[in-house]
Amino acid sequence: MRDRLISLGTLAGLIAALLAGCGSQPVAPTAPPVAAGAPNLDDWESIVAAARGQTLNWYMWGGSESINRFVDVFYGTPLAERYGITLNRVPVADTVDAVNQVLSEKEAGANPGSVDIIWINGENFLSLKQADMLLPDWSRRLPNARLVDWDNPALAFDFGEPVEGYESPWSSAQFQLIYDSADMGEDELPRSYARLLEWAKANPGRFTYIAPGPGAFQGTRFVKGALFELSGDAAQWVTHDQATWERWSPALWAYLTALKPYLWRGGETYPNNESELHSLFANGEVDFSITQAIAGAGPLIAEGLVPATARAFVFDDFMIGDVNYLAIPRNAPNKAAALVLANLILEPELQAAQILPENGFGLGYAIDVTRVTDPAQLAALEAAQSQLGVAATPAADLANALVGDAAGAYQRLVEEGWREHVLIGTGQ
Amino acid sequence: MTRARQTFGAWLALAPALAVVGLMVGASLAYGVAQSLGLLAIIGTDQPSLAAYRDLLGGTGPAGREFWPALGFSLWISLASTGLSALGALLVAAVLGSRRRPADGATLLMLNLNLAFPHLVWAVALGLLLAQSGLLARFAAALGLISAPAEFPVLVRDRDGLGIILHYVSKEVPFLVLLALAVLRTQGAEYDLVAENLGADGWQRVRYVTLPLVLPALAAGSALVFAFSFGAYEVPALLGVRYPRTLAVLALEAFANPDLRQRATGMAIGLVIGLVTLAVVGLGRAWQRLGVHHDA
Repeated sequence: MRDRLISLGTLAGLIAALLAGCGSQPVAPTAPPVAAGAPNLDDWESIVAAARGQTLNWYMWGGSESINRFVDVFYGTPLAERYGITLNRVPVADTVDAVNQVLSEKEAGANPGSVDIIWINGENFLSLKQADMLLPDWSRRLPNARLVDWDNPALAFDFGEPVEGYESPWSSAQFQLIYDSADMGEDELPRSYARLLEWAKANPGRFTYIAPGPGAFQGTRFVKGALFELSGDAAQWVTHDQATWERWSPALWAYLTALKPYLWRGGETYPNNESELHSLFANGEVDFSITQAIAGAGPLIAEGLVPATARAFVFDDFMIGDVNYLAIPRNAPNKAAALVLANLILEPELQAAQILPENGFGLGYAIDVTRVTDPAQLAALEAAQSQLGVAATPAADLANALVGDAAGAYQRLVEEGWREHVLIGTGQ
Repeated sequence: MTRARQTFGAWLALAPALAVVGLMVGASLAYGVAQSLGLLAIIGTDQPSLAAYRDLLGGTGPAGREFWPALGFSLWISLASTGLSALGALLVAAVLGSRRRPADGATLLMLNLNLAFPHLVWAVALGLLLAQSGLLARFAAALGLISAPAEFPVLVRDRDGLGIILHYVSKEVPFLVLLALAVLRTQGAEYDLVAENLGADGWQRVRYVTLPLVLPALAAGSALVFAFSFGAYEVPALLGVRYPRTLAVLALEAFANPDLRQRATGMAIGLVIGLVTLAVVGLGRAWQRLGVHHDA
């Protein structure tokens, strides 16, 4: 009995101590130091040697079976065969889960942590950069970084946030719409937001877009495109300026409110994500879906998500494009393997493979193809470009309509404003 | 003295379990309170502030603007689900319990089977079945009852939360029936027989025998149903609309927002959910006690 009592007392004390520890925690926001033996980027061979035998924990959005397969085949195999690295692809439902994992590790002081590399961009990049949890100053020093056009603002700024060597590009994407060529002729397509409103009025209930909000950047992007068209100029949105926002946002809410009654289900609700929109489109409930892939509707047709007659198209202007990246947490346990992967991904042959719809990825290049000099690599790139197929938007249309994304600060303004003015509908 | 010793012994025996639970819940709770006050080690803020609560209750800020509608919507869904589930369970239990033979194996299996389905799976299934592009809509269109699947009535992802309520009711009625049947099967038959011998008709037996017997179990079960449905995220996220949203959806979205300062708001909403649940369940119990006293 007696020692039971003692143990009870000990336990109570423990609990009290733990609770006290949890309740008040003015922990200084110091980032854990980059672990000793950090990779030396001036000596690439030493990195390759250190990476041999490592298991690379790659946290990435796992919602697309075809992308998962592409990653396992096109990167897993060369990593194993050429570098002796085992790829452990960790699928997450939303990239923010990987970000939260790293942030929790920082709070818990876990170093080394568990995440080696993350497929990332935009707000998630900003979160980790804000928290000072990214490996600094590496991406421009990779051997293959010479193939990347770092002077291109669409690439050097990730949603307005300077990349500054914290992340290395993987692929590019551009907002496009999808229609069914069996139902609609090419000449009937609306080619601007203004035309889209007219089209919706003539075809009530046949159009909808993804609700803008955290985790649904495609919806936010659709709305930002409207903002660009209404203001007539995309370039002014690259830096955040509250006065510009206040000048143009009323027109944006007016446009979307005018569109709302002609949307699917009268704008009472909206699809939450791309796959919900695809299934509405495939069910014939709406006439347009969207995609970000350079191969247009091709990968979706291959997956059986949309009819084989689906085709991608763009408006004449203001189709936002962006780049997605790989970032390495400061507390990554296998930094050398992560660097090897980031470099491998920029190989021209693999960049060519990623744009082809049949390989299952279907996003655009991260490299500047004009910087490739090797004839075999050039041939691979040209062959891929010619195989994109009819479901893709013509390359010239894409290039003509391409604009960069707005500064990151507008993301929240657009999302919150949309909820307040359009969804909840206080009107103006 | 012996009595006191016994009580002490019982508490002592419970201590390890209580310690574990207390540690888990207590530590998470303390952590939650700290975060709701804006103490976020990640971005290094260490000044406690009530800003998150002020925003919520005052209806300012992105989450605050939706707080009161969300509270109302959550209460509507949970109270309607709990009430309808309890009513449905009472009817089913009365029918099953008043039969000559106790509920047979097949019925019990059907009731138990429902417990094996996670809410997530059930919600997805309901969505696939009842959506405007769902299975029923297609059958109805194929049979010519409606001219296109899109004419099917909006049963899920509707503004009134009917889909969510339908989900909870279909999931919780079997659960509550099982609780009620457990009581009826151990005590019901004899009382029922006595009442019948004394000349009570069917309705009287339900009113004066079945109801008083199952009410305590049903009330406790209803408290569970309310607490669960008020705090659960996945069903309203799957079967709800973008606006209005339930508190749980609002809380998780604020918590997962890339803007780390929104976490305080998410945690504050989470704590409000806990407080409201405690308050409603407490009120329910007080009311029940009052009712018992009046009856006696």
